[in-house]
Formats: sequence, C-alpha cells, structure tokens
Amino acid sequence: MTAVVERPAAPPPLRRSRVRWAWGVGALVVVVWSLAGAGLFSGDVLNPAGTRQLARFAAGALHPDLSGDFRQVLLTSALVTIAYAALGSATAVLAGAAGALALARTTWGRRRGGWLLARGLVAVPRGLHEVVWGLLLLNVLGLDPWVGVLAIGIPYGAVTATVFADLLDEVPRGAHDALRAAGAGRGAAALYGLLPQAAGGLLAYSSYRLECAVRSAVVLGLIGAGGLGYQLSLSFTSLRWEQVWSCVYALTALCVAAVVAGRAVRRRLTDPPPSAGDRPRRDVVLTGAGPATVALVVWSCWYLAISPAALVADRTRQQLTYLLGQAWPPRLSGPLVGSLLRAAVDTVQMSVIAVALATTGAVLLSGLAARPVHRAGPVRWGAGAVVRLGLLLLRAVPPPVWALVLLFVLRPGILPGALALGVYTLGVLGRLTAEALEELEPRPAAALTALGARPVAGWLYGVAPRAVGRVLVHALYRWEVAVRDTVLVGLLGAGGLGALLATALQTFDWPAVTTTLVVLVLLTLAVDLVSDRARDVVR
Amino acid sequence: MVGTGERVALIGPSGAGKSTLLGLANGTVEPTAGSVEVLGSDPAALSGAGLRRLRARVGTVHQHLELVGPLRVVHNVNAGRIGSWPAWRAAWSLLRPHGVPEVAAALRAVGVQERMYERTDRLSGGQQQRVAVARVLVQRPELVLADEPASALDPALTDRTMTLLTELAAGRGGSLVASLHDPALALRHCSRVVGLVDGRVELDAPAAALTLADLAAFYRRSG
Repeated sequence: MTAVVERPAAPPPLRRSRVRWAWGVGALVVVVWSLAGAGLFSGDVLNPAGTRQLARFAAGALHPDLSGDFRQVLLTSALVTIAYAALGSATAVLAGAAGALALARTTWGRRRGGWLLARGLVAVPRGLHEVVWGLLLLNVLGLDPWVGVLAIGIPYGAVTATVFADLLDEVPRGAHDALRAAGAGRGAAALYGLLPQAAGGLLAYSSYRLECAVRSAVVLGLIGAGGLGYQLSLSFTSLRWEQVWSCVYALTALCVAAVVAGRAVRRRLTDPPPSAGDRPRRDVVLTGAGPATVALVVWSCWYLAISPAALVADRTRQQLTYLLGQAWPPRLSGPLVGSLLRAAVDTVQMSVIAVALATTGAVLLSGLAARPVHRAGPVRWGAGAVVRLGLLLLRAVPPPVWALVLLFVLRPGILPGALALGVYTLGVLGRLTAEALEELEPRPAAALTALGARPVAGWLYGVAPRAVGRVLVHALYRWEVAVRDTVLVGLLGAGGLGALLATALQTFDWPAVTTTLVVLVLLTLAVDLVSDRARDVVR
Repeated sequence: MVGTGERVALIGPSGAGKSTLLGLANGTVEPTAGSVEVLGSDPAALSGAGLRRLRARVGTVHQHLELVGPLRVVHNVNAGRIGSWPAWRAAWSLLRPHGVPEVAAALRAVGVQERMYERTDRLSGGQQQRVAVARVLVQRPELVLADEPASALDPALTDRTMTLLTELAAGRGGSLVASLHDPALALRHCSRVVGLVDGRVELDAPAAALTLADLAAFYRRSG
C-alpha cells in the first residue's frame, strides 16, 4: 500500500478550465465587436470643433453660480427631488411588501408553476427603465406629480418585491414550521415565525432603495418631472455652464447625504450596539428614523400637492382605455422589426463598451481609490482622496448629462452614449472595486512584501487573484443595469432602442411603442440570463 | 542575537511574543521602540530596492500560512521568489508558470507534487502548510523563520518538515528560528532553545544542555 503512495509521481500537466477560457475569449470578442460597431476602427468619431465649448464647460467647474437667486432655485429644486424620491420609494416598499408574499417560495410551497408565473410577470415592470415608465405614464396621467412617483414606484416596487421575497425565503424556517405544526395559519406563521427574523434585512434594503430613488428622481427631472434634474437640463440647454456646475455640486451633495444617512441606518441595523443594564436600550437614530420617514412622506405629499383624485379621475380612465386599445395588437411589420433588431444590437454594443471601459478604469484606479491598510504618506492619502472625489462626481451626474457633454467633441452615434454610460458606471464600479479591495484580508499580500516582492508583483500575486471574482460579479451586475440605462441616453438621440422608443412616442405610434417595449423587455431578460451564467462561471 | 548556522527554537506560552519576535525579524511588525538588526542591516534604515533585497534573504513560514487561496499551488510556490524576479516575469509566470522543475522539486520534497496545478484553497490544512514550506524552499533564504511550521501535520511529516527547514538554512550557511509548541521537537531539531514569557527572554540555553523535564518545568513556571 504505502509503496504505491510513496513512489514520486510526476506532476500532472497544467490543465486550464475550458469553460472559463471560452467565456473569457468570448467576452473579449464581444468587446472588440462592440468597439468596431461604434465606429472606433473606421471613420471619424471626433469633432474637434467642439473642444472650445468643452473647455468653457470645464472652466465652469471652478466658477459655479452661487448667487442668492440661484441658491434659492437650487434649494426648491432639491426639495422637489427629495419629495419624489421619498414618495417613489415609499410606494415601492409598500408594493414590494405586498408583492413579496406573491413571489416568495414560502407562499407557493410545492406549486412551482404558480411561483414561476409570478416571477415571470414581475419581470415586465422590472425590465423597463424609470424614464420609460415616466413617458408612458405622462401619456395617461398628463402633467401630474403622480407620474414621477409611479415612474419610480412601479419598477422599484417590482425589484423590491423580488428582493423581499428572497429575504423571506432565506430566513431559517424552524420557528415558522413549528408554528405551522402547532396549527397556526399561513399568515400568522409568517407574521410571527418569519417576519421578525427578516425585519433587519427588509429595512436595510428599503433604506438602500431610498438612496437609489434620489438618483432616479434626478433622472426623471431631466424628462420634465421637475427638481434638480429639470433645473440641470434647463441650465444646460441655455448653455449656462456655471449654473450647470452648481446643479452638479448640489446633486453630489444630495447623493452623498443620501448614502451617508442610508449607511448609518444600515450599520445600526446589522451591527446594533450592545444594550447595557437590564432595560433594552433604544437606538436614537433607529427610533427616530421611523417617525422621520412618516413625516417625510407626509411632507412630500403636501409639497408636491399630490392627490389621489388624479388616479381615479374619469379622464385618466378614458385615456388608459384609449391607449391600451391603440397599443394592441403590436405592429410586426418587416421594416419596424428590422430596425428594432439593429437597434437592439446597438443597445448591446453600447452597454458592452460602457462596462468594459468602466471595469478597466475601475481596476486601474482601485489601487488609489481603496483606503490604504497601513499608514500612508500625505501624497498617497491626497491622491486617494482626489480619486474618490472624482468617482463620486462621475456617479452623481446622470448619464444623459455626460452624453450631452461628450457630444461637444464626439460625432453623434452610439459612441458618445456608450462613453457617457461608461463614465457613470466607472463612478459606481470604482467605488465597488475599492470596497472589494478594502475588505480583503491584508496579511497574504503583506507576506509577499515581507519576502521582497515589488509592489506590482505583490499586487498581481497577493491582491488581484482574490479580488478578481468579486469585481467581475459586480461588473456583470452593472452590465444588466447598463442595458436598462442605454434607453436613457437613447432617448436623447444616442441611438439604440431608446431612440426608436422616443420617435414612436413622439409620433403617438402606439402599436410600434408596444413592439419596442416587448423587444426591450426580452433583451433585458436575455442579458440577465447571460450575465447570470457568466457569474456562475466567475464564482 | 542569533549567530550564523544556529537553529533556534522559540518556546513559551501563547501570547508570550513568539510571533511578534518573528514578525519583527521579517518586517511585518514594526518596532514601537528600539531597533532590529537583520542579517547585518537595520531594515528601518533601508528603503526601496535595498529593503527588497534584504527581505528576499529572509524567508518565513507564517503561522496562518498567508497563501493566496484562489491561485494555483504552482504560483503560490513561485511567489517565494518573485522578490528576485523582474515585474514582467512575475506577470508572465501567472499565464505560463516559470521554472516549473524547481517548483516540482520543492513540492516533491514536501510530498504534495501531485497537487501542483490545483487551486490552493482546495487543499487540506496540512497540504497547505506543506505548500507554505515549499514556498520558502524555492526562495532559498539565508534566514529561515517559521511560526508553528508543523501544527497541522502528523508526527512523521513534522519531523520531515523540520529536517527540510534545517537543511535549507544550513545549505545557504544561514540560520533557522522556529517557534514550536512541542518541546521534544525543539530538542530534537534545534541547537538552542529560547523561552519567552510576556515578551521577555526567560530561558536561553544550548539544546544539548536541556532535558524535556527542564522544558516542562519552564512551562509550569511561566503558567
């Protein structure tokens, strides 16, 4: 026996994982194909005539408009944005809570068919961007504050319902099953056996949704819902660069405030301070967050002068019936389907370029963006702060604004749209990548430094192999988001399905709108599926 | 002071400062007071390439191994010598492993050659410990530091690993400092035993002058 084990065996030959290589080569091919599709390897993409305008725009960064009048405008705009975000996410959380019961495996038990159907239905509201919902609702409700609220509430509600359902399903089932065995009904068992354990996760996710809703409210402003986004587009179209930059700084401050508040709540939820003495100590921030949220929602209703009457008005019902009658059946004519397919290809190429650019940039910047583990010199610290601030600015400005800026120096086409999305996604991915690095255990890399490795080699051997999986998973998630966001830049003429949708909406060509929406939802579903498989390979 | 060619066993209760002392020697722990001299140089006075050259001459088997889990075993072993490689070679080697024969020899010496191309985190604790030893073998340092280098190994492998480490140190005319829990191991493989209690040296004697009973008495005294 032992003789067999002890014979020195030659090491087996190096075997690479075929699946991973296939995915890797495939991804590279798709990126090159997308760049070629954007015209990067053929013809002019630059428009040098616009450089002076770009320079004037950039110069505005140092001279934002801080006059008293404009400060007043910014303040009221910010309040409108906050009100939309608050009401939109409140609607989403309520809808999500109700929808979660319909989507949880717990509810369906062994009836898998019903569960799959419910999940399939919820994919439709999820697959459409907030702005698409906004434009559709505008045609039903007219210029009413409900448009902005529901445009956030519907897609967010669908996502929230899915996440809430997953949270409920992941809760340990012991208590619930014991209650059921003791004769409790489904509802009572869920209320006492599941909800208390899932509460922390549900609240944490709700606060995260509020953060996202601030960005969405800004974007909806760009299409006319009012608030900071609206002010930004007004200043932009009147070429008032110093006002544009004031808006950008106000947006950044608002996003930072939302993130800081959200993080404070979430940290307290996941990691509550120990209670001293025999009385349970209440956390002031958490206890205050409840009434504060209710007050915020009530104030938002008042500030936007929102009234339920608009939803049940006769005109609304007539308009909805008319639109649904017009929109069905969808148009399936050859030219439309052909141009939709071409637009779908453009959409995919835009999103691929955006994510490729963002991932590359995020990895290159991550070394500086991550807070150093060991004490660092003032130069390293300063560079890190500048990079982090830059990334914050990139993700605070909505992609359509970046697209408008890039159109100064780039010829129209899918490239400016792709770059605009890429710049915005870089802001998000840069932060996520830096966080991934900060969370790594520092000792293995320190061990390599201790045996004399250069910084580059230490990073290649000690840091990159451990972070690459997480970074790619984030990048794939952002790809799904980017596909939805292409609509946003497309509405402004950057091409893709968004541009076709804009044309169809402007000409009230409702059958074509339906077809476009169907293609859009199918495309997002397909991308989600591919991204899901790719994530499995990466993990 | 550790002289050339010495094989020093560090013993003492947990928390006595064995790992800290080894960390001071390889540069992962910075002194809060006083100074450290390693292989005739003061690491605090060096920087850049000079510091890297000094560090490449000190090899460590860490207590928690500090291997990179998602990398294949071959790269973790090669990581032992990236200190003497140019950056491009370190990068290229991740695609086409460089110097495979030496890696294979080191892995054969510790008995895990058949796992060469596996992901390191798929190996058992004992196998990973042997990979960490192989990493030091290809590094060929003059000063070998080992923090509990055999904690996850069975008695036969423990003896073999200690022999490998002492031979490695002797081959370069260098020294070995190993923290060990097992007094018998200390007496069998080392020429000198240093006992630490609360960061102070409470025992320092040639191994030949000590018996197992002496070491048991030291552990009793230090609580």
